[in-house]
Amino acid sequence: MAHAPNVLDAKSRDLRGASTQVKAMLATDSVVVKNAAHLHGLCGGLKAGEITIDGDSGDYLAVLNDGAVVKVTGNAGKYVADNMTGGKVLVEGDADYGAAQYCYGGTVVIRGTAGDFTATMNKGATIIIGGDVGNDAATYMMAGDVIIVGNGGENLGNYLIRGNIYIRGDWASLGHNCAAGDVNAEDAQKLEALLKEYGIAADARSFRKVTPLSDKPFYSH
Amino acid sequence: MATIGAFCVTLDKDQCINYRMPGKCATCAEICPYGVFSLNGDNEVAVQNYNTCVGCRLCAEFCPENAIRINPAESELVSRYPWTFGTIEEIHHKALTGTYMLRGFGTMGLTPHFDKIVVVPSQLASPAPKDKYREECHMEVVIGEETCERPIRLQYPFIFPAMSYGALSREAKLALAIAAATTGIMTNTGEGGVVEEEPYYANGFERPNRSRKTWPPGGYLAIQWSTGRWGVSADYVNAGDAVEIKIGQGAKPGMGGHLLGEKVTEDVARIRGIPVGSDALSPCRYYDVLAPEDLKKQVDFLRDVTNYEKPILMKLGPSRPYDDVKMAAEAGVDAISIDGLVGGTGCSPEVVTQGVGIPTIACIGPAVRALKDLGLHRKVKLFALGGIRGGLDAFKAMAMGADGVGFGTAAEIAMGCRGCMACHQGNCPYGITSQNPKMRERLDPEEIGQRLANFIKATAEEVKILAMLSGHGDIRELSEEDLRALDVDTAAITGLKLVGYERPLPWWENG
Ligand SMILES: Cc1cc2nc3c(=O)[nH]c(=O)nc-3n(C[C@H](O)[C@H](O)[C@H](O)COP(=O)(O)O)c2cc1C
Repeated sequence: MAHAPNVLDAKSRDLRGASTQVKAMLATDSVVVKNAAHLHGLCGGLKAGEITIDGDSGDYLAVLNDGAVVKVTGNAGKYVADNMTGGKVLVEGDADYGAAQYCYGGTVVIRGTAGDFTATMNKGATIIIGGDVGNDAATYMMAGDVIIVGNGGENLGNYLIRGNIYIRGDWASLGHNCAAGDVNAEDAQKLEALLKEYGIAADARSFRKVTPLSDKPFYSH
Repeated sequence: MATIGAFCVTLDKDQCINYRMPGKCATCAEICPYGVFSLNGDNEVAVQNYNTCVGCRLCAEFCPENAIRINPAESELVSRYPWTFGTIEEIHHKALTGTYMLRGFGTMGLTPHFDKIVVVPSQLASPAPKDKYREECHMEVVIGEETCERPIRLQYPFIFPAMSYGALSREAKLALAIAAATTGIMTNTGEGGVVEEEPYYANGFERPNRSRKTWPPGGYLAIQWSTGRWGVSADYVNAGDAVEIKIGQGAKPGMGGHLLGEKVTEDVARIRGIPVGSDALSPCRYYDVLAPEDLKKQVDFLRDVTNYEKPILMKLGPSRPYDDVKMAAEAGVDAISIDGLVGGTGCSPEVVTQGVGIPTIACIGPAVRALKDLGLHRKVKLFALGGIRGGLDAFKAMAMGADGVGFGTAAEIAMGCRGCMACHQGNCPYGITSQNPKMRERLDPEEIGQRLANFIKATAEEVKILAMLSGHGDIRELSEEDLRALDVDTAAITGLKLVGYERPLPWWENG
């Protein structure tokens, strides 16, 4: 028989207290954390385990995540999944400013909207935004896929170095070094699998693809 | 004209065409606007009137055989300022190429630095000098004693500041790690990720299984967390003994870094976790820090991810040292490095290196006051960086209130560098700032690590001599009273007592 998950009420705990508790609980089973919105940097650097934040999270949730699966049933604070290298972060609601920045790997799914500078300097993660994304998404991206099901803001993909942005809606403006084109069969297949996996109802062929114009977008080459 | 007699003009007769074949060439005589060269009746060229030379080097530029040398008889800064030869060449470079000047190394030229400060020895009116041979001098610096489960105990008050893999070769990084181990001090990954051997080398072990200490007593490795976040993961931040949050550096404060795609070789790409040949642009600021509270949150989560074991450090460029250091300390770090104007680099625009930031000696005082005002001086450790050349500079920085100093450029020089300043080209003939395998072969990490260690030990001895002759058996006792400013400018900048006057300048005394 499966265990009931461990439940931690983080209400009166600081980061150290809550984090120590979460790590201890993960040794036996998955963990549900309640009242965690005041904690910034919770679930940092974990290599395994499943944690659900029941409600909203604070900032820097799952920073440096390296294999854990972290879910948020409400909204995520700023910089969710910052510098993630592996694992998954799933946000049911919206994500504030700077979601999924500096990621090397893993998957981030935000079902609602995401703020400005989402996926900045992505270096290999798959980042899916179910709703609209703010300005300057995927700035300086070097590798990976950013999938936007809704609309993009200004400067989408500014100074794109490598990697792909797939976007279904419109964008206010494309950033420097970006070219928009159609998705090819291979892209469509990849998108279809991801959309299916995360239960997002959207036709893979209705996306556009934004890629770098030049592979050396900077001064001094 | 102000330039009269300012230049010596010499003509190499072995090279000169006219000397061999009179009448065949007289380009110099034709081109010189001041008649420095003349032709006699037989059409032979001679330096006729070098007193009129203004040092423009037109003749040298046009001489087909490169036979002319122009050397300033007095400094060009005196004779030609502000239009020195260097200025003119720089403008030509920009006009011809459309690119600004880039170089390695720190600020060159005279800026307020440690040289106009002297050390005050002990005689009668202060505690008697200590005997360097029989008596002890405490040199240890502890970082994170009350805040971390694994504090760092530097055997000497020195660190090797961040120098990234990418800017430095793998071999140079390893030499620094070996030297840090041998002398019990700390080296730093820099922002280019960690070289595999660095963590255990820095701790003194030659093999990853850490079975035998090859380089006792073993030192420490700080892991740099920067705006580019190259190769950064949970494993990375846990790979060393401390994590350093980089805000800025003296050679290019307010700027990020930019490793051009050309230097992103396969190995650099692997360690930085990016595609081969792609530009590695470190942004000028953190995209994941919008407000001061965010900085504190970063310190908190870095402590959490490193299990509350490792000190968290912060590195600042030279901007507004009082306020910057205050904010850094309030963010909750265990040590702060502040890098002054002179601070070195592997690559920075000339205008930034030369003209941006305040001098190291002007950073230390305000930084110390900020820590004192928070009641954190000597608790949060302060390291002064930027143009520290040896024990004398180190002693002065520490007497001004720093807990220790860092050697960047001096460490490069200890490794063999001659200061050609072309680090950014990646062809360092000593294999220090090169990714070229042929150059790198020349740098044996063990041998060069030993040289670095020698430099550190000799420098530590220098600090010890100075501390003991001024009556101290513990570097934590050093104070401004151990120093005097030699001129009004230095006294004005630092608040040190002016020699002769024996008091700080009035505005310092009046607050
Ligand atoms: C080759 C080289 C590479 C450097 N790379 C970094 C770096 O990655 N991160 C950083 O914070 N500072 C970097 N610095 C600056 C040093 O950490 C340090 O601030 C500076 O060298 C101190 O001044 P000094 O060279 O006069 O001793 C670098 C300096 C040099 C010379």
